[in-house]
Amino acid sequence: MTDDYKNYLAAAVLTDGKIVSYRLLSRALKVNVNTAKQMLYDFYSKQNAKKPKSVHATYLLTGTQQPESPSRTNGTHRQDGEDSFMQSSPFPSSMPEPMESELAEDPVPVTYVVLVREEELDKKRAEFMEITSIHIYSLEPGPIENMNMLAVCNQEITKSYSNDDPLERWKIYGGIQNPYIKRRTARYAPLLSKTASGEAPKDAAPKATARKILEASSKQKEKNSVPSRRGSVSEDTKPGKSMQQPSSSNTAAKKPTLKKEKSDIFSSFAKAKAKPKAAEESKDSTPAQTEDEMAGMSEDEADADDTPEVRFDAEKAAEARKAREAREAKLRQMMEDDEDEPMEDAPPVTEEDSQDAPLDKEASKPVEKETVTVQGGRRRGRRRVMKKKTVKDEDGYLVTKEEAVWESFSEEDPEPKRPKPAPKSSTAKGKKGTGTGKYGQGSIASFFKKA
Amino acid sequence: MSKAEGNLLKAAPFDEPVHLAPRGNSSYNPLHTFELPKGGERQYAHQFADMYFLRLAQLKPVLEEQAEELWKDFELAGEKARRVDRVLDVRQGELCWVIGTVYMELSMKPNILDDLTKEHWIAAPPAREKYISSTGLDEMMLEDESGRLRITGETISRQSFVTGCIIAALGTEQADGSFNIIATQSADLPRQPQRWERDDSEQAVESGNVTSKRKTSGKVAIVSGLEITGTAEDDVSLDLLMEYLTCEAAGPPTQTATGKISRLILAGNSLSHSSPIPTREEYASRKIESTRKHYGYDASVYNATPAERLDQFLADVLPHLPITLLPGPSDPANVAIPQQALHPALFPLSRQYSSPPLQSNESREGLDSVTNPWEGDIEGWRVLGTGGQTVDDLLKYVEEGDALDVMDAMLRWRCIAPTAPDTLWCYPFQDDDPLLLHECPHIYFCGNQPKFGSRVIQGPADQKVLLLSIPKFSETKTVVLVDMETMKVETVRFEVVPPGT
Repeated sequence: MTDDYKNYLAAAVLTDGKIVSYRLLSRALKVNVNTAKQMLYDFYSKQNAKKPKSVHATYLLTGTQQPESPSRTNGTHRQDGEDSFMQSSPFPSSMPEPMESELAEDPVPVTYVVLVREEELDKKRAEFMEITSIHIYSLEPGPIENMNMLAVCNQEITKSYSNDDPLERWKIYGGIQNPYIKRRTARYAPLLSKTASGEAPKDAAPKATARKILEASSKQKEKNSVPSRRGSVSEDTKPGKSMQQPSSSNTAAKKPTLKKEKSDIFSSFAKAKAKPKAAEESKDSTPAQTEDEMAGMSEDEADADDTPEVRFDAEKAAEARKAREAREAKLRQMMEDDEDEPMEDAPPVTEEDSQDAPLDKEASKPVEKETVTVQGGRRRGRRRVMKKKTVKDEDGYLVTKEEAVWESFSEEDPEPKRPKPAPKSSTAKGKKGTGTGKYGQGSIASFFKKA
Repeated sequence: MSKAEGNLLKAAPFDEPVHLAPRGNSSYNPLHTFELPKGGERQYAHQFADMYFLRLAQLKPVLEEQAEELWKDFELAGEKARRVDRVLDVRQGELCWVIGTVYMELSMKPNILDDLTKEHWIAAPPAREKYISSTGLDEMMLEDESGRLRITGETISRQSFVTGCIIAALGTEQADGSFNIIATQSADLPRQPQRWERDDSEQAVESGNVTSKRKTSGKVAIVSGLEITGTAEDDVSLDLLMEYLTCEAAGPPTQTATGKISRLILAGNSLSHSSPIPTREEYASRKIESTRKHYGYDASVYNATPAERLDQFLADVLPHLPITLLPGPSDPANVAIPQQALHPALFPLSRQYSSPPLQSNESREGLDSVTNPWEGDIEGWRVLGTGGQTVDDLLKYVEEGDALDVMDAMLRWRCIAPTAPDTLWCYPFQDDDPLLLHECPHIYFCGNQPKFGSRVIQGPADQKVLLLSIPKFSETKTVVLVDMETMKVETVRFEVVPPGT
């Protein structure tokens, strides 16, 4: 085990003439990156002790460099009020500040991360004021002429070593853990299929790919139960944003995915009872699949109704609260200012404030006094709109004013997606029950119409 | 020379690997100020005049108040300054002040007719760096809905104004009808929210009480202009950036420091030459290349490599660091500001880290693809950022000054894109102009600038704003880190030493 790295490095660097970076070594041997960096050095020093110049190295230096200009001298002592361009000038920093003074920042500390070949190492090292860390970045059989060659290591990692769960990588390889990141379980994971096909020999049966996907998805499922992932909103619903599934993996992966879909439907059911859509669609000949594909295609129209309800409410509530405060302040001021003002104007004005969006988008809010009746798929009612009005004033000028006026309107129900209730599902909300006859068929068309 | 624990030039026996303390949470609460209506509600048929009307209507009361306070006792040669409602009401020889929209008549400003003449020229003139000309033919106007005033005066030459900003001007009308200004006043910084204000109110609404205990915030890393071309040139520095951000590169001391970063912001131009509208030159060269007619899908027209490389980069970083992704002028988003979020279809790997679009239009952890400009709360601070077009366009109007100067001016004009829709493509807003600044940010950054810069400006009500101009990574290899507790700024520069130097 302990000599694994020697064998690997000897084979890769000396025999195959490959470039091996610390990352590649850590992936290949499943060791921590910091250990891999030391392994590289160990191999490098021992090998070159045996036979000088047999292995070549590149280094990664981190630290602060000698300041290039005098203005960078005291990077650590920074105070507001000192101008970076005035460093050498005799202006005192306690200069009285005018109202609109611009406080220029002092020189900003710069950390350098430098990748260098061993030939230039000493020269580069001398430029550093302090080196916080240094390690071997890669080993190669001879001096490399083009630093871009080093990129092949990470390409190889992407190609061959990215089958594991990215959220668990830190345990093996080091790097920092971020416990807050969540990853959706995508049914169509391009990473898996891509790397699997890249890894497997060309004549390998599609079964192999399928098995990989199977394994992967079962792995994913196991992970779902791991408490640290906090199974929450992003876990369960609609994992598939995929436009299409490759047909080969589609058939093979059907078994695990079907299982998943089931839970998807249930969870979305449990969460949002308000959407009879899910229930209805599950009765179609292609259950849930269509919905998922729709979910993928309709990125553009994820409207406000689809956001989690809790947060939506909170936002609205905060808005409403702000509006209420503003209204109160306005009212108070009006009382003080002039009493001749007709009072009935006040409330509608503030209502206007409470909603940023144009009112015709969602006309039926309980707070407003607007009346909306829904009849046979059409909505009628009165609403307030801002109208621009151009009038001639006493001097003969044209004056444009923005005025709130009431207007009655009548329009097609703008939500064709929701008001198609399943025959069985209860039409609890009267508004939604109206469109029954109209939207029975041609659901695809009406779906796109909404956009 | 180097610290012992940072030196990994050690032979066997190896140190026992130590896991770094996990990264702190990034408190993130985006606003959706710049999101345009979806689908059919997005109307491009409107007139732009409404934007100017809205701007003037919204900023006039503020300016009136400020100018009144400033100039109510102003006297010149025994004459008191008087307020005039409309620019046409200005009487000759009378000291007065008036509020209006600035319009700059610049001789080098692009003209739609120029595009037509270009078609007939063999060699088009080079792209303009600035709209202003050195001949002094440029004129400044002040206009409102009633009419226009030609502005003269010494203040113009010293101060810079651009088309679309709203100012109050104090002066007198001369015999030739021009308005000689003595002083100008801008709306200045609006109210600045308190730190955690929005989060606290949301929390109070949700749970009824506010937790005053919050963890110490980490740093935010801002990068702009990755300009991934998909060729080998940018690979190594991009790898270094990724390894740095994931704390794999360097030794334990550096890794610990990097672990403090709790969010990465990509401020535009992550891909190069991916704008859906090619420039005139690109279009011409493309035409020549593909004289042969292709049927069906032509792979030479679209090169997926840059997008794949970006996706890979994001997917490598995302397990360790949440990312906010702004589009920029060269990204495959719409070209008119506000640019809408990059479509998740571009990121087959990394979109697994963002919330499903049907569920939520934001992802507080993971990848959040947002608009440009974008604003939101990070660690309680209001952050406003752009991909850089607004600043670049503004810089063409002024003779001197850098990005920080014009960013400062924009905040004081309370309009983050005054030159839209005149010289900057813009969505025709009708009812509200989100490009007007309603709340003062704490951090205002602007991507894709030639060099790094940072400055703290102050407002009349003690607002403090940190201005950051973020350099292009593709050219400077620089990452900007902002400590969200102290507002201290630092940079990290990557360098790949070319062989033989």
